[in-house]
Amino acid sequence: MSQKERKTPLVDELEKGPWPSFVKEIKSVDNPKAKDLLGVLERSYQDKIGHWKHGGLVGVMGYGGGVIGRYNDLPDEYPNVAEFHTLRVNQPSGWFYTSDVLRKLCDIWEEHGSGITNMHGSTGDIIFLGCSTEELEPTFAALTELGFDLGGSGSCMRTPSCCAGMARCEWACYDTMGLTHDLTMEYQDELHRPPFPYKFKFKMAGCPNDCVASVARADLSIIGTWRDEIQIDQEAVREYANSSELNVLEDVVERCPTGCMRYNGQLEIDDENCVKCMHCINVMPKALAPGKERGATILIGSKAPIIGGALLSSVLVPFLEMEPPYEDLKELIEAIWDLWAEHGKNRERVGEFIQRVGLGNFCDEIGLDVAPEMVIQPRTNPYIFYEMDTADY
Amino acid sequence: MSQEVGVEEVAEAMFDLVKQTHGKKNLKPMDLIKAMIQKFGDDRCSKPLCKKAIRELIDGGRCIYSYIGGSYVTLPPEE
Amino acid sequence: MSTSVKKRVTDIGPPHYEQFLPPVIKENYGKWKYHEVLKPGVLVHTAESGEKLYSVRAATPRLASIHSIRLFADLADEFSDGYLRYTSRNNVEFLLTDPDKIDPLIAKLGAEGYPVGGVGAAISNPVHTQGWIHCHSAASDASGVVKALMDELCDYFTGQKLPAKLRLAFACCLNMCGAVHCSDIAVLGVHRRVPKINHETIRTQCEIPTTVSACPTGAIRPTSVNGKQSVEVVEEQCMFCANCYTVCPSMTLNDPEMDGVSIWVGGKVSNARHEPMFSKLAIPYLPNNPPRWPEVVDAVKHLVEIYAANARRYERMGEWIERIGWPKFFEMTDLEFTKYHIDDFSHAGLSFRTSLHFRHQ
Repeated sequence: MSQKERKTPLVDELEKGPWPSFVKEIKSVDNPKAKDLLGVLERSYQDKIGHWKHGGLVGVMGYGGGVIGRYNDLPDEYPNVAEFHTLRVNQPSGWFYTSDVLRKLCDIWEEHGSGITNMHGSTGDIIFLGCSTEELEPTFAALTELGFDLGGSGSCMRTPSCCAGMARCEWACYDTMGLTHDLTMEYQDELHRPPFPYKFKFKMAGCPNDCVASVARADLSIIGTWRDEIQIDQEAVREYANSSELNVLEDVVERCPTGCMRYNGQLEIDDENCVKCMHCINVMPKALAPGKERGATILIGSKAPIIGGALLSSVLVPFLEMEPPYEDLKELIEAIWDLWAEHGKNRERVGEFIQRVGLGNFCDEIGLDVAPEMVIQPRTNPYIFYEMDTADY
Repeated sequence: MSQEVGVEEVAEAMFDLVKQTHGKKNLKPMDLIKAMIQKFGDDRCSKPLCKKAIRELIDGGRCIYSYIGGSYVTLPPEE
Repeated sequence: MSTSVKKRVTDIGPPHYEQFLPPVIKENYGKWKYHEVLKPGVLVHTAESGEKLYSVRAATPRLASIHSIRLFADLADEFSDGYLRYTSRNNVEFLLTDPDKIDPLIAKLGAEGYPVGGVGAAISNPVHTQGWIHCHSAASDASGVVKALMDELCDYFTGQKLPAKLRLAFACCLNMCGAVHCSDIAVLGVHRRVPKINHETIRTQCEIPTTVSACPTGAIRPTSVNGKQSVEVVEEQCMFCANCYTVCPSMTLNDPEMDGVSIWVGGKVSNARHEPMFSKLAIPYLPNNPPRWPEVVDAVKHLVEIYAANARRYERMGEWIERIGWPKFFEMTDLEFTKYHIDDFSHAGLSFRTSLHFRHQ
């Protein structure tokens, strides 16, 4: 079928301007899929409506995750994107690449698909956008030959992701990339074969700045922290004080959320009252650093609105040391999964499950001691479910 | 002590259940596991055994994973 | 190509990251001492050993073709010994050891149309979703709105003109495949029409009990239409979340005239100073007006400018609003406060004011 050059005046408008243009990206790929994709988008810009349909039955053999089926609702007009599935390719931890491996990924995607990607998708995977059903297996074969595998989708563990951590950050309180790789390898089965009521996401952030938005986007948020004193280089503090770029009193001391700092030529920090917010360290990176006794706080339950409303993660374990082989963490993860997989309702995220059964009961069931750090304050309502068979009370 | 059921027997029972409920109710892997443990008893059937059985069904092509807002084990679509 | 049949392998996982790390990172892994911002978009990390790593950060549109990825690979070969990475916000970062190569790299990226910036007191690359490029439930396009926005806000990416960092995000429906619910400014696609039920296809496409239970407000009831099983929607109970559509393709919400976006402000994920917080509703609805979405661009630009002019140094959008109070925010931004701004879902009462601690405008 010969392809007429379609006019796309509306989307062409978005080739202009200083910000990098996704339209130029699509046009830079000279194949029928990309041309039809642009045509469909022009159609959406005219109609003010999307033209894609659900598609839940495609995948690579044996896996229940990694492929998102997608079909166009105008297949006669745009036959080259009639099937336009997504492959989620598990990224290397921290999104580090060599030019060599990127070229090889491009070669695979040029041969088998649309040549269009997302670098990266919201969960962290390399996204190959636009694969026909029959090319799914050949693409998968080429990927595994290069040493790559698919990530998660559906009711799977989703592809864990992390900040650059120790690879390029002095604030990393544990090895985020190491843990991410370790958990990804340990739980390949959960990543590829959906065992849960709904998705389960991990995000590893090296410090309380949380550059991967773990507290907002992960069912289990593993955020680095420390529990001893902030390390201070007083000479470097004075250098900041003497520079024009910073006013140590106004910009640092007065911004401390607990007011635990004083400066009078010498910086004093009342570390017992420090809540590890990172502000002072962020603005004086040459003078201050997280303490030496480092680990992570484990938080649970964040999610976007669907179904019962958005949640932020809340504290589950106030402090946990994070050293390979991460046995305590894995024991915790598996206890959570066992409970939620068995008792969670269909499409109920673990955060919603906890809201339903109660955090106290949840901790009881997974064998975790409750701690005052888990709550902002104790309950204010007296509707207590006293347990008659508990001898303690 | 009673002997564990064979993987193939569990897979067969799971497949029957998927066929029975086809078009009426979609089953999650955990629904299948719970049903099998109830059927065979927890002394003869376990979660790891059921997982092997599901893998057998999927890898052998008798069932597929489907996704409609959540993931299910279903019969392959008819051509 | 080899014709021999290779054994199919599965579950090998991602390649180990170590093989992609430049030598300067391998040698100083976990031993970084401090970092500085040399200029917009350029970071230098100094290790305990004294070795330095220079990172040059450039925006990408997230939707990347193999053409531009190959271009980045070529630039990496020329300037950073072949090493590069991507950030959690779709920026590309070249990892240099030779500081003399920074400016030539920036010049080349600029010539190719990739601005350098997004570090420190700037707008970083907006995270966003697929929109009309690829999604079945999108109430708006994602790439298009972000492109239109950033064409206007690009100077905030390449400069250091803001009181603090500003995280901008876009999600094309309430599924929110991005952290838009905790962003300084979030643009969120919304539907505003009850699902249109296809009573012919619903029996084969959907499972009725699952569809009924998918509704967070219990607005969907089983019913029979012309003797066939189907569902009905209690219209006044529907808040257009599209949960039903996610489990049942026969209940479509997309509507050319009713769909559009809402705008949310004041969220953050970092613990710096203030605890992490959700974004709050600023503008309930703006129309879809492709290709440049002028109403959305004007609204966001207005919010950025008022924040930039009034917040104190290091104060994020949400911290600034908390300091001045929400009544003042609505006054300063000239936005209308409507009944839609008052929560009426679960736990809504937690957002009602129970004190006299507010300022009279």
